[in-house]
Amino acid sequence: MSTTIGRAISAVSSVVLGKDEQIRLAVACMLARGHLLIEDLPGMGKTTLAHALARVFSLDYRRVQFTSDMLPADILGVSIYDPDTRQFQLRQGPVFAQLLLADEVNRATPKTQGALLEAMEERQVTLDGVSRPLPEPFFVIATQNPVTQAGTFPLPESQLDRFLMRISLGYPSAETELALLSGSDRRDHASTMKPEISSAELMQQMELVGKVHASADLIDYVQRLLAHSRDSGLFVVGLSPRAGLGLLRAARAWAFVAGRDYVTPEDVQVVLGPVTAHRIQASTGGASATSTQQLLEAVPVVRRS
Amino acid sequence: MARVYQVPRHAFPWLLAGALLASLPHLWRGPLWLAVVVPVLLGWRTLIQRGVLAMPGKLIRFPLLLAVIGATLYSHGTVLGPEAGVTLLVAAFALKMLEMFRLRDAYVAIILASFVLATTFLFSRDPLTTLYIGVALVVVMAALVGINDPESGVSPWRHLRQSGLMILQALPLMLVFFVLVPRMPPLWNLQVNQQQAKTGMSDSMSPGEISRLSRQSGIAFRVEFDGEVPPPAQRYWRGLTYGWFDGRRWSQALPPEVRQQEYLRFPNGPSPEWYERLLAERGEPDWRYRVVMERTGQQWLYALSVPFSNRQEVGLARDLRLVRRTDIESTFDYQVDSYQMPVAHQGLPEWERRFYTSLPQEGGNPRATQMAKDWRASATGDGAYITRLLLWFNQEEFYYTLEPPLLGENTVDEFLFRTRRGFCEHYASSFAFMLRAAGIPARIVAGYQGGELNPLGNHLLVRQYDAHVWVEAWLPGQGWVEFDPTGAVAPTRIEQGLDAALAEYGESALTGLAGALRGVPLFARLSLLADYIEFGWAKWVLGYSQQNQLEFLSRWLGKVTPQRMVMALAAVGGVIMLAMLLWMLWRVRRPRLVWWQREHRRMTQMLSRRGVPLAPHLTSAQIVQIASEYFPAAGQPLQDWQRCYDTIAYRKEITEPMVLRRQLRRLRRLVGRRLIRPIRLNPKTDLQREA
Repeated sequence: MSTTIGRAISAVSSVVLGKDEQIRLAVACMLARGHLLIEDLPGMGKTTLAHALARVFSLDYRRVQFTSDMLPADILGVSIYDPDTRQFQLRQGPVFAQLLLADEVNRATPKTQGALLEAMEERQVTLDGVSRPLPEPFFVIATQNPVTQAGTFPLPESQLDRFLMRISLGYPSAETELALLSGSDRRDHASTMKPEISSAELMQQMELVGKVHASADLIDYVQRLLAHSRDSGLFVVGLSPRAGLGLLRAARAWAFVAGRDYVTPEDVQVVLGPVTAHRIQASTGGASATSTQQLLEAVPVVRRS
Repeated sequence: MARVYQVPRHAFPWLLAGALLASLPHLWRGPLWLAVVVPVLLGWRTLIQRGVLAMPGKLIRFPLLLAVIGATLYSHGTVLGPEAGVTLLVAAFALKMLEMFRLRDAYVAIILASFVLATTFLFSRDPLTTLYIGVALVVVMAALVGINDPESGVSPWRHLRQSGLMILQALPLMLVFFVLVPRMPPLWNLQVNQQQAKTGMSDSMSPGEISRLSRQSGIAFRVEFDGEVPPPAQRYWRGLTYGWFDGRRWSQALPPEVRQQEYLRFPNGPSPEWYERLLAERGEPDWRYRVVMERTGQQWLYALSVPFSNRQEVGLARDLRLVRRTDIESTFDYQVDSYQMPVAHQGLPEWERRFYTSLPQEGGNPRATQMAKDWRASATGDGAYITRLLLWFNQEEFYYTLEPPLLGENTVDEFLFRTRRGFCEHYASSFAFMLRAAGIPARIVAGYQGGELNPLGNHLLVRQYDAHVWVEAWLPGQGWVEFDPTGAVAPTRIEQGLDAALAEYGESALTGLAGALRGVPLFARLSLLADYIEFGWAKWVLGYSQQNQLEFLSRWLGKVTPQRMVMALAAVGGVIMLAMLLWMLWRVRRPRLVWWQREHRRMTQMLSRRGVPLAPHLTSAQIVQIASEYFPAAGQPLQDWQRCYDTIAYRKEITEPMVLRRQLRRLRRLVGRRLIRPIRLNPKTDLQREA
């Protein structure tokens, strides 16, 4: 394992207690240049996790609380006429950051959510007809409440597809909760964390992730997973090629986090749920987590014929 | 420096094995020195391959070649002809292996090996030989696959598999060619068995010859009847007649007055008068059958009287026997219709009467001659005389034996009045003498009598020990009539065969192992089965001659014309090619597993068989973990196996795939040996017990 990444992970773990798996996934997601969606009930530590990640990787960090009356300009920025220079001056919005935490992203209207779309995919923003690149690296960590909660707009599918992973944190275990309750506020911890990796170093590590070896057997396995999602009839719509690329990228990053320079089927299986659960919908209408498990169990790891 | 294309190392095992297998049948058959020289040369080559010895230079190879030529000359007296030629070929082939170094030498060696294999057919064509050649061919082809395999360090067994597959694929095509490609008569006649003794009957008979034949259990011919099989007493297979007696030896001869073309009638040849009369008087055939003969090296064919055959090269002689135009050098089959009819219409011209009553001039066997004259004088006719004679044979103390005492000058006198112990030849010979001495025209017929019915193929199996001679006499008004004096002495011989007849006198024709085995029921049944297979082979494969092919094809094609044959060939070939194409497409559609995937499957199958619950979606690490719970003893090798497998399947740099392959297989076998159940049955039941 890259020791710097290991240090970063343990630093985050000391802030977000008992969620090692999710932290590793979040880190892997970032290493894979992917945006992360954290879905959970309020107060589960979503914001703390995002904050801690930003600190640890010494990223320029902005946080936007999405509300139902929010407008795209609130995210992207606005040009204001400056009477002194007699020119319009751009006031950059919170999107011009290396890590944007979009808190409760599904509370905003689809129009505002759509404003994030270009930023996430193109890594640039067009204001007043001028394209402005976003800083490098650029991550969006969005949190959302379960759609069943009141006052939420479900994210459009096109936007969901742009998140590499979706994870949820869940309630802490009893021990973790005890430790949590007896300690001080975790958000304070986060703001006092010292950076472990410079953003330049992070970029370097991301380069290395791209070089993790995926053998023909492994790519074959990934392809069979994708094909099965389309052919089996388990799902309303099968996985897109983008989802496939994302799956492979995420598996590479996971292998990298685990300290290997090659991908194994285990890596694919670990990231399969987070990468695909929010993209597909079971034809039976059941929970998507179950359907990804079905997909996983239906496809043999090694070709049998 | 020009690049030298070397023979790949992995091709050597099959090259050497192929060379040995190709030479082996010839070592068995050829001169003794060959059986020593060839293995030594091949062993030498193996040592060179192992790096123990160096390649021999020209100074060694050239004298070796001269020595081999010299040895061949010494053994065969020539280097030409099939036998000497093959000996030289096999020895030179082994020598060629000594200088096999470059790739093109290996090609030459493979072609030579194939040729040497093919020459085996010159000497033997039975099913076992053919099977052997097939197997040897697979090995030789494996060498060919090997020298064309660019991959190094491959297991030679893969080449053998590949070669076996290719030969199997070629089989249907071979069958098509065998059945459909026009058969041509050979352009030249290869006299292969020159030195091999002629078998079966010869054209003359002296005392002791037939009894020698009776000790052989080799197959003379097999007969397949269309319809019912004649009873044993009527199974007189006429081969040839002896008309000339010199006092000791009966031989086949023609009186000088007769011209060959009047005596022998071939289809498409001139038709003599006696043949026309026979044709006119014959009614419906009594027996229809097909005779499949083994090689005899002679012309005589065997059939029941009076035989007609429609084969082009088969002729009928005036003494009512079938003759082939050329010697029978390989399996030969012919269809015969036999008519039981009196043969008086030929008449007995004066020259023939004189010939068939002639006896040696100087008064040998005076006592027998005197008795014949006295008895004939007192008899009312020829028939009465013959009856009295047969009765005499039957009632006097004559013995039927394979080991008669030696006879001196006057063979007939000595036999009839002194020794009285003899075999069929003695009885037939003295009987014919007595007839001639009484002025009755008589001749000896040689052939086989009886035969064993094989219930499997419902065919008759006639062996050398069924050889028999009997007598035909000309009776006025009746023509040629058969008499068997042996039947008068030992009727069992005619009814039940030689063994039963000899048993009555406490003798056995076959001594040693063969004789002992004949009594064992299992062996008898096995030999019947072997006979059935051999007969099928002789009938369908060896006997598939030009004429049979025409008959067979005309059944399917109607009239056989070159165009139709080409069309049939193209059609059948096309169907086979199409089937192969479909098969190949099917194979391409389904990508084949690579070796480590097959190895993975073997491992999971092995574990599943031993009760480890495995699902296909489990990764190797999960499989190993579950299996270790069931079989803790296999834990370590399982982990090693998993590491090895993951390295092969998922890591970037695999150097030495062969090493890993062997390692993976070794680890799987190690796991297999460690799959010993611990005392507790399995974790689940254990948990239940605890609960």
